[in-house]
Amino acid sequence: MNPRQLTFQIFRYNPETPEQQPSMQNYVVEEEPGMTLFIALNRIRETLDPTLRFDFVCRAGICGSCGMLINGTPTLACRTLTKNLPENITLMPLPVFQLLGDLSVDTGTWFREMSIRTESWVHSNKEIDPRAPEEPMDNETALSIYEAERCIECGCCIGGCATANLKPDFIGAAGVNRVARFMLDPRDQRSEQEYFDVVGSEDGIFGCIGLMACDDNCPVGIPLQGQLAYVRKKMASAGWKRK
Amino acid sequence: MHLQRALMQNRKMDLWVELVQTVSGLLLVGFLWTHMIFVASILLGIEAFNTLAKFMEDFGLLPVAVIFIILAGAAHVGTVLRRIPGRWQEQKIVWRHAKTIKHHDTWSWLFQAVTGSAMLILIIIHVFVVVYAGINTELSADRVHSWMLWFYIVLLLLAEYHASVGLYRTLVKWTNMKRRSLKTVLLIITILTVGLGLISLAVFYSHGGSI
Repeated sequence: MNPRQLTFQIFRYNPETPEQQPSMQNYVVEEEPGMTLFIALNRIRETLDPTLRFDFVCRAGICGSCGMLINGTPTLACRTLTKNLPENITLMPLPVFQLLGDLSVDTGTWFREMSIRTESWVHSNKEIDPRAPEEPMDNETALSIYEAERCIECGCCIGGCATANLKPDFIGAAGVNRVARFMLDPRDQRSEQEYFDVVGSEDGIFGCIGLMACDDNCPVGIPLQGQLAYVRKKMASAGWKRK
Repeated sequence: MHLQRALMQNRKMDLWVELVQTVSGLLLVGFLWTHMIFVASILLGIEAFNTLAKFMEDFGLLPVAVIFIILAGAAHVGTVLRRIPGRWQEQKIVWRHAKTIKHHDTWSWLFQAVTGSAMLILIIIHVFVVVYAGINTELSADRVHSWMLWFYIVLLLLAEYHASVGLYRTLVKWTNMKRRSLKTVLLIITILTVGLGLISLAVFYSHGGSI
């Protein structure tokens, strides 16, 4: 059988040359066995168009750099095999994040801001003796923290979220999942009222309208529906008790 | 913390609005299903329907139902309005986004908003007609046996769809239920309630010429 000729329709725009309108450009690449979008995009850049901009670092689904809309679905390019796609493939950058050019977006600034707003560090007044042995944590707690901690900050949950597309201050599933991680952590001494100040609002958990594109699209499969429900219930009870 | 938020008297406001939206929605789903079962009493005969209608009138349940629908409806409309993208720019974003990501639950939310807006007008008409005309088989049959048949069919479909999607979203937001099974169960309930409503309408229609 002859290899397929894949047609990539790729979003082109350079914010530094705003006089040029955003457009979709076509590239034809011959499919190879085991081809991922990482390979295909590099082939395009090497052989067809050196100006095409896109991000990759680890090419193994760990770094979260290559999130993009692949035929509309927000997911990681490096983990997407072309054999699972039709012959015509549309690639767009993730929405919400600042567009750097073509398929490349700046997720880092967004995630840093979210980290600051959700105060993503263990809040504790406890004096720590660096020479003392670490306090053990029971396995169940450690595993539930790890579940949330698996987030690779690719931004697929944010790009796929209609609310995040509409409201730039919404922290999205990544933000709520982050808060859930600290709520689960017994070392964090924040009270539920302090958490309520962080996420008990329209920009936090009560801005979510339950579209679940985050849960459907998370490339590492974090159970975001459960994480959102967990934080929502906790914050509803904290708000209920609040004076 | 921002100044505006610190100055906000009641920081629980967002939670309250969310709860009013959810609770009023759930009450309206309960009302809709009870309503459709009552209407289906016509399947047991004209006698049964009239007895139930008379019972409701004698015990003053009709005004109670009307007041309930006005209060719960107003609370629901008032709270869900904040979710509907109001500006033209936002409308463009949300439709383009849905078309781009081709995600089922995002589309169902847009239909939820559209069916809700359409229902608002139809329900106001429906409540006015019932309040001014009263309830008995003859009146209902005559109404259904006219161009208003289409009004009832559309209202039935919109209401059952909106209720089903709303219930789905509430359960998805507050519980960790499996979404696939939830969809299946709600689809079956919706088919049954729409079926029941259509059969009731058909029975009314058949009585339309004869009574």
